[in-house]
Amino acid sequence: MTALDLTGVPCPMNWVRARLALEELAAGERLDVLLDHGEPLRSVPESAREDGHEVTLDGNRVTIVKR
Amino acid sequence: MTLSDLELERYSRQLVLPEWSGAAQARLRTANALVVGVGALGSPVATYLAAAGVGTVGLVDSGTVELSNLHRQPLHFTPDLDKPKTATAALKLRVLNPEVQVEEYNAHLSEENADAVVAGASIVVDCSDSFETRYLVNDACCAQGVPLVSGAVLGFGGQVMTIVPGRSACYRCAFETPPPRGSVPSCRDAGVLGAMAGVVGSVQALEALKLLAGVGRPLLDRILHIDGLTMEQTLVATERRDGCPACARVPAAPQSV
Ligand SMILES: [Zn+2]
Repeated sequence: MTALDLTGVPCPMNWVRARLALEELAAGERLDVLLDHGEPLRSVPESAREDGHEVTLDGNRVTIVKR
Repeated sequence: MTLSDLELERYSRQLVLPEWSGAAQARLRTANALVVGVGALGSPVATYLAAAGVGTVGLVDSGTVELSNLHRQPLHFTPDLDKPKTATAALKLRVLNPEVQVEEYNAHLSEENADAVVAGASIVVDCSDSFETRYLVNDACCAQGVPLVSGAVLGFGGQVMTIVPGRSACYRCAFETPPPRGSVPSCRDAGVLGAMAGVVGSVQALEALKLLAGVGRPLLDRILHIDGLTMEQTLVATERRDGCPACARVPAAPQSV
């Protein structure tokens, strides 16, 4: 499991960093990211879903399982 | 290969493209693109390649900046008059993106130097304004198996085709012989609007970036014609020709594009 603290990182840089981290993972591996409330928490999970990953939220912690 | 924080920020808007990736960006960084002709087409091509992070951008041109160039060659400015085009373009590109290595070949591409200039390029973008140079560039690229994006603009007409030697039709397959002298004026003799050249050069840059990054479907075996007056675009199919003197004996390219 990889974790990435993206609090304080605005859109779209937070998604850029999350995507590059996901690129390093194998399918089925999981990435945890911490995001700011507001636009980041609305937009990053949505972007991850659009890329086909499995996404779950727990507060401002987003868990992305690579497809 | 990891991208630095500055690279991440500089390229963030292309890195968020679903079709793009860190790996695609890394492929650009290791690439060496050669731009033949730094004029109306070469200005947008070199600008977008350098801005996008192509690691090395080579510029080939023997010309100097003339006042009548400036309306269509936006890499050259009025204070650049009489200076070599490769130098004035390189200056702008280095300021635009210091991460990029810009190489200057202040020379006219000829039969003597074509093979040496093309050697080592991962892609060539032909932005020249003469049929003679287009065939020369095509033949050198075919001989060395280097992918090529060929483009031309004449008046409000534009044309682009992408060539992977050994895999798709080359310029000579598509245009077996140059048109008879006088029937088609060279770019030098003909009128052109800068914006029209910008359209064609931008298409060429896009094709080169797609090919280098390995995304999308390039203009292989297809010639794109653009009519700037009506904005009609036409794709004309073409194919490899048996016995083409440039590419018939080229083995299929190893890379999958
Ligand atoms: Zn051919």
